[in-house]
Order: sequence, then C-alpha cells, then structure tokens
Amino acid sequence: MPEPGDNTHYAEPDPRVTGAIRYAQDVELPDMLYACVVRSPYAHARVLRVDTSALPADVVALTPDDVRSLGLYGCQIKDQQVLAVERALYIGDPVAAVAAATPRAAREAAELIEVDYEELPAVFDAVEAIQPGAPLLHEDLAISDNDAAYFGMRPEPQRNVCHHFRIRHGDVEQGFAEAEVIVEETYRTPSAQHVPMEPHACLAHWTPEGRLEVWTGTQTPFNLRMDLAGIFGLPQEHIRIIAPPMGGAFGAKTFVRYEAIVACLARKAGRPVKLVLRRDEEWLTLNRHPATIHVKLGAKRDGTLVAKQVTCWVNTGAYADCGPGVAQKMGFASPGPYRIPHVWVDSYCIYTNLPSNGAFRGYGATQAVWASERTMDLLAERLGLDPLELRLKNVLVDGDRYCTGEVMHDVHFADCLKAVAEQIGWQGGRRGKGLAVLLKGMQTPSRASIVVEANEDGSYTVHCATAEMGQGAWRAIRMLAAEQLGVPVERVHFPVPDTDIVPYDTRTTSSRSTYMMGRALVEAVRQLKENGELGYGECVNEGGLDPDTGQGIASTHWHQGAAAAEVRVDEETGKLEVVHLHTAIYAGRVVNPPAAQLQNEGSMIMGLGSALFEEIAFSEGQVTNANLSDYNIPAADDLPRLTYELIERPGAEIHGLGETALPPVPAAIGNALFSLGIHVRDLPLTPERVLEASERRRAAPV
Amino acid sequence: MARPIPAWLAPTSLEEALELRARYGEEAIVVAGGTFVGILINQGLLQPAALLALRRVRELAYLRVEDASAAGRPLLRIGAMTTHRALERSPLVQRGWPVLASTFALVASPRVRNQATVGGVLADADYASDPPALLHALGASVVARSPQGQRLIPVEELIVGHYETSLRPDELLTEIQVPGGLEGAVYRKFRSRSSEDRPCVAVAAVRREGRLRVAVGAVAERPQYFPEICALAAGQPTIEPELAREIGERYAAAIDPLSDARGSAHYRRRVIAVEVRRALEDLNRIIAARGGSQSHA
Repeated sequence: MPEPGDNTHYAEPDPRVTGAIRYAQDVELPDMLYACVVRSPYAHARVLRVDTSALPADVVALTPDDVRSLGLYGCQIKDQQVLAVERALYIGDPVAAVAAATPRAAREAAELIEVDYEELPAVFDAVEAIQPGAPLLHEDLAISDNDAAYFGMRPEPQRNVCHHFRIRHGDVEQGFAEAEVIVEETYRTPSAQHVPMEPHACLAHWTPEGRLEVWTGTQTPFNLRMDLAGIFGLPQEHIRIIAPPMGGAFGAKTFVRYEAIVACLARKAGRPVKLVLRRDEEWLTLNRHPATIHVKLGAKRDGTLVAKQVTCWVNTGAYADCGPGVAQKMGFASPGPYRIPHVWVDSYCIYTNLPSNGAFRGYGATQAVWASERTMDLLAERLGLDPLELRLKNVLVDGDRYCTGEVMHDVHFADCLKAVAEQIGWQGGRRGKGLAVLLKGMQTPSRASIVVEANEDGSYTVHCATAEMGQGAWRAIRMLAAEQLGVPVERVHFPVPDTDIVPYDTRTTSSRSTYMMGRALVEAVRQLKENGELGYGECVNEGGLDPDTGQGIASTHWHQGAAAAEVRVDEETGKLEVVHLHTAIYAGRVVNPPAAQLQNEGSMIMGLGSALFEEIAFSEGQVTNANLSDYNIPAADDLPRLTYELIERPGAEIHGLGETALPPVPAAIGNALFSLGIHVRDLPLTPERVLEASERRRAAPV
Repeated sequence: MARPIPAWLAPTSLEEALELRARYGEEAIVVAGGTFVGILINQGLLQPAALLALRRVRELAYLRVEDASAAGRPLLRIGAMTTHRALERSPLVQRGWPVLASTFALVASPRVRNQATVGGVLADADYASDPPALLHALGASVVARSPQGQRLIPVEELIVGHYETSLRPDELLTEIQVPGGLEGAVYRKFRSRSSEDRPCVAVAAVRREGRLRVAVGAVAERPQYFPEICALAAGQPTIEPELAREIGERYAAAIDPLSDARGSAHYRRRVIAVEVRRALEDLNRIIAARGGSQSHA
C-alpha cells in the first residue's frame, strides 16, 4: 500500500505538457458557429432599440426581444436576464449577441448592430450607492432558488443593498465602555482581475430531442444547470453540462457567465455555438469585490481584546452574482481568529454600475484580513506591545467559541503565527517586519458525492463533479482512490465531469474538493470492495449562519494560515521592496506534496500582486487597464525570497489549501511597512501611496 | 463586410522595401518586431489597410563599429531590424557601449526582447519605452532612407510628440548610429509596479568630452533634455553632491510631467528630482572608476 504523498512521481505523461489536454476552449462540434457579444458603452442606460438590419443573412443575432420571456437568473439573487433587456447596468453589459461562421465574421457582425440608448445617472462607489437619491439599479430583488443561495438573503428593497449580513455577539456598547484603549480606521481595497491563462470559453448545442448540452469551463456545473433550467423552463435533467479542464479559473468561472447567451444563440441558429472571450472582455465579466471597511477595536491595557465593530461596504457591481456570499464571508472573517466577547458586524453587499464582482481566490477574506490585521498592529503600537504577543494573547485555541457561537476544533492559528515569526527572524528585531493571520471558512453547508466503478480490465473509474482548473484536484482524488484501492494511480481514471453521469457536488470552490471528496471516497471504496462493482459515497457538512445575528456554524472546516514579510523602503521614492515572504498554513495531511507546494506558492504570488500593484482602474465605470500591459501581474523578477511551510499533523484530516496563503500576504507587507512608521490604509501599496504615508509620518508631531 | 484584412507586404530586400514604402506611404503601417503594432491592432486602435513587414529584410539586421568616424570617435552602426536581444548580447556592444547593452536588457521580458527591434522602438516614439531617452542622451542619430536618398536625423529631432516622428511617409528608418568616446554613461529605470513594467521615470546621463547630457524619459511625450541645466556641470571634473541635487531639482521644475497608471504628475516630479540626482551620483562613481557605464533598475 503506498503511503500518502509517495505517489507523486508517475509514469504517465502530463497532458498539459504534451498538449493532449482538451481545455474548454478546444472543444469543437461539426457545423458550429462562433459568437460575439455586443456590449453597452454606457454605465447605466435604457436600451431603446436594437437594430440588426445591417447584418448579413447568414449571421444569427440575439436581441432583447429574443430573451424577454425567458426566466430571470442569479445564483443568489435573481436579478439578471440573458441580455440587458430594459436597462444596461455597466459598461460592457451584454445587450445583444451574434453567431457567425468564423470568430472574425462574428466580431465584424457585432459591429454592425446598432443600439439606441438613453443614458441614465450612474453610481460607482459602494458607499455613495447607498446614500439617499443614488440611482437605483434593480427594482425587485427576488431571492434565487438555486442551491448557491444557501443562507437567508437580506435584500433591502428600494435601496442598492442586495444583502445585509450581521453579527451580534455580546454587547458591543458595553464592550467599548470597558475598553481602555480604542483604535479606529477605515481601509479600502480595489477591484482585481483573476487573469486565468485560458479565458472564458463555452459551447452550447441543442439535441433533436430538445435537450441542451453545454461544454464550458466552469467550477459550478450543477449550479449552472439549475440556473439554465430556470431560464429555459426545462427540467434539470434536460440539461447536460460537461466541464472540461480549465487553464486557470481562481473563482472567475462560476455560475452563469456566457452559457445562457450561447445556448440562446444555438437554439435560434439550430446549430452549435461557441464563444471564447477576448482577453479584454475578462475585465467586463467578473472581478474581485472592491471594499471599504471600517474597523473599531477596543482592548484592555494588557492587550486583552474586549470589543470589535466592523462595517463592510462590499461593491458587487451591476448584478449580485455570489456577492451576498462574499459579503457574508467578509463579514464573518473580519473579527479575525480571536476571542472577543463583544462583536458587532454589518456587511452590506451593494450594487453599483461596475462590471459584476464575484468569487475570487480568498472570497472576501483578503479584504477582511487587510482591515482586521492592519488594525491589530495599530492597537499593538498604541499599547506598546509586540504585535506577535498581542495576537498570541487573544488568538483562538481549541475549544474556544468564535463570535458566531460555534466551538472551534483542530485550531492551529498560534502554530502558524509562531512559525512565520520564527522564519522571518522576529526575535532578531522587528523593524521592517510584519505578520498577519487568517481565518477563512469553507463552504457550509455543502454536499459532495462520488462514485467509484470497477472496470473489466481491472482499472477503476471515478465519477466526480470536481472541476480541474490547474489546482490538481483530479490528480489528488485519483491518488486518494488509488491509495484506498491499493492500485497504482495510473489504474484510476477520472473522466471529464458530465452532469448526466456524475453524482451531485455543491461546486469546486472554497478549497473544499480534496477534503470533501476525500471523505466521500472512503465510503464509496468501502462499498465497492464489498460488491466488487460499484461504490457510492457522500460527504455532507451541515451548518450555516443566521444572517441577522451571525450565529450558527460559519464553517465546519477552517482554513488557517499566517504570513510574515520583511520589507525595505526607498524613502525618497516610496518604492517598496519585499525582501522575504514566508507563509505557514495548516494543511492537516498533504495528499500530493509537490502540487500542494506549488499551489501555495501560487497563492503567495497572487497575494503579492494584490499587495503591490494589482488594481483595476475605472474612469466613470469604464475599465481603463483591460490588458496585461496596463494591468500588471507579478513576473518572475518580482518575487522576493519566497518560503513557506505546510503544517501537517499525524492522523489529521486533509485540509483545503488552495486559498489560504493569499489573504494574509498584503496585510503582512502592510504591517511590515507600519513597523517603519508608514501607515497605508489602501491597497495596493504603490510607491506613491507609500511616499505620501511616509511624509504623513514625518509631518506628525513626535 | 466591415473591415478588410490588411494587405501583408513582405519585401526581402531594402530596395524593395523602400519602393513599397514610397508607393503605400501612410496607407501601410511598418511592422518591425510587431510587439507594439500587434497590441495596437488587437486593441482596435490601428486599422491599417496594409502592413509593411521588414522581418525578411535581412540586410537591416547588423551591428558594426567604425573605429574612427569623421569626428574622430568610434561609431556604432545598428541595423534597424536588430533585435533588443541581439544588441544586449553583442560582445561588441558590451565592450564599447556597455550602457546600451545593459539598458536594452532592462526592456520588458526576454520574450519581448527577442522580437522587438531597435529601429522599431525609435519609430514607435512611445513615451514609455526605455531606449529613446538613452539614445537621446548618447547623441545618437538615425538614418532615414527613401528612394530619393537618405538623411541623418538626431534622435532628439526624430521624436517630436506622442507616437510621432519626423520621418516622412516615404522614408524608412534603416540605421541607428551611436557615437563612442564616452567618459561615462548611466541609465536608471524607475518602475512603480512590476519589474516587467515600463518605467515611471527613466533617466539617462552621459558625459562625453567634458559635457553632460541628461535625458529624462517616460514623463512627457518625448525625452526631456535641458542643455542650459546640463551646462551647470560644464568643465567640472566631478559633479559635486550639491550640484547633482540642484540639477535634479531644476529638471523636476523644468519638466511638466504627465499622469498615468504608473504615477501622477505630482509624484513623477518628486521622483525626477531624486532619480536625476542619483544618476549623476552614479555617473561620478563610474567616471571615478575610469570609464565604464552602468544601468540601474
């Protein structure tokens, strides 16, 4: 029987290297057409008329009239139609689409469609969008019946708020009255792009029997199927989603993106239709939520935390997508992994006339950790305490209750903090050094199921909905199955997930797949060994929060990690150099060490980009840096000394680790700057911001 | 239907290229490495009727040194189709004009440098490119050829505005000439974002025959050079710290910087003062070490 982690070097060639892999964008069907989307040039406008009369006869056009009668969709709030039928709500909102024989013919045809608009007032900032008199984006906010609406939605009618999440724990007024020191600050984090190497790609086809078949790069095949069923008024089993491997996703390929448009075009054309986005369209498709976060933190003079109040204004753009979920996670991550008797959190998910924001590696935690962990250092400075000591004094340990009321188990925040402090040389002097700790929940409730089948030739097939996006999930699940079946990993096959075949899975998000599927697999293999043919296993995690009090089970499985950074600053230009970056994350038991290590490195590098320069620039709602020359992501030469450790424990269960190292990285770097007296509130930490903050320090009375 | 596919003109000799250039004029966009034109076309900013591709004009890819030119100095002749990478890796250039080799090595990434050409980067006249400021400070000139003949244009007269040169519609930029005889030369590239980004502020400082020439790039539509400020250093064996600071501050005051994603005008002005001063300090060190040159990231 191979030991876990031993099975990493294997004979089969990697299809990503040989070119044999068929990504979503490689899928083709005979006679297929290519789609192109016509987008609104206005941030908010009434769509008066869509004129397709200039189109050549062989081009198929989709206009608002074609989709007006179709169902509304939205994974959490039903606020979206297949096209912007009445009003376009952001620059880039699809108002029409075409399908033509070649991608080029489609692009040219799209330019021939004329649309008349009546421009309306628009709003771009989340805080402004909830002021009285702000333009209202949506009149009615119907709650979705999709599985992804897994908690109580609290939209506020006639206000641009699609969800208001609260934590009410203890008596925060009394807490602040008891506090001997109170620090308060407001932080801002910008929008960011996922920049997956492969853009969004999908292909739709209607069978002669009237079934819809969709090949698409998606992390959420079952949620997608549910929303498409609602749009077309079909039973779910009349829709088949096939989810080929993706060249990166990072949250961008979730729920309905272009599948509904392509399916409508295919139905109208009577032929398969495929869409692959241009790179610049990625910035108009899904981005990270910009957030403004206000934190008020009270403590005793000895550093004991007594009260914390947090308000998050979470900018979800034109459509809610999973913004309510992001706002909720941001809300319950923002208290941080600390014992605080009195906690009050308001997190608002707010519509604005920006492109939709949705799932993004970190899922609200990056914004929350930036605000929360920067404030911990403000408090440490005010109290004259070592920031590490302040954290260790308050950090959650096994058996503690979190502010949601749940009891914490298998808790390793202190281990992570101590590990990063040691590796950064904390004891040797703290100047230029900073650290931050992260608590991040996993999708709760959720359900994973898996089937393992014995084949005639002695090999096995795993039927599983988990999406492969470069994170190595298929490989990890095959390795776990091989280990339990006692065969080499080459004898375990993992076909491309197809909702006609694979059993239900909530989705491939929140770093849950290896953990959840790994557990489901145990029962499936046990059954198969019993009957010799087929086994089915399921893993359900129950829980959830009351959105009005924030009480309940936020997560059955906590992602835990810490980062430490050492920086140098060019005081004359504000240019920041990260000298060393270290992360420690709790991994429980690692299945595939090289893949886990690379995934953790990737997380850190993505965190570095968010810390130092990633920011989508908007001018009156128009993205002005929708290309990789104007929008920088980290290059090889940008990497500091990068070290990390995946903390394992004998007998521990598998822990998700896809996102853990990202969120604490910007905060650790921000705190390292703060150790030099430079207090920057907003990300990214551009030289200009650093120089300005450094001058505020000089100007301040000593 | 909408847009025709641009005609692809691919001459194999300079003579043929000049003839096509004269015939098509502004109808054809000249493509050298394609790293810039390709982006503009993809973004829909350029919709040319024709593309005049010089890649197959092999006679335009060369590096030669004339040991003593008319001015009594060695002269480096760079064929316009020489790639950044070829320049950066040439022992000839590394020995005689090390600042050129090290500066071209700072442009973008190896992938881009394998493709981008020296002629292309000058003809683009993109304010945010590295080479123009350095070539300006080095007193380089370019050869502009047409079927009627050729003329020599100093780089400072070649780049006249945003993406604008003084090349005529029938002329091709065929060669870059860089005089030697340097006492010291330095290029500092200040980046505000990724290491592969273009500069926020670029400073080239060159001293030849006792005369200082400082050109600041990436801060305005063309490289910024102020002879009257540089003249403050005339005849001084080394630039004293006070003078270096003064020259930096005067450059910062004289330039009206632009704002872009890499920095605001206000911030750029601050950085110009610092980076010009630092370039002069670097130059002092180099000259003190008896010649040589360097580039700084």
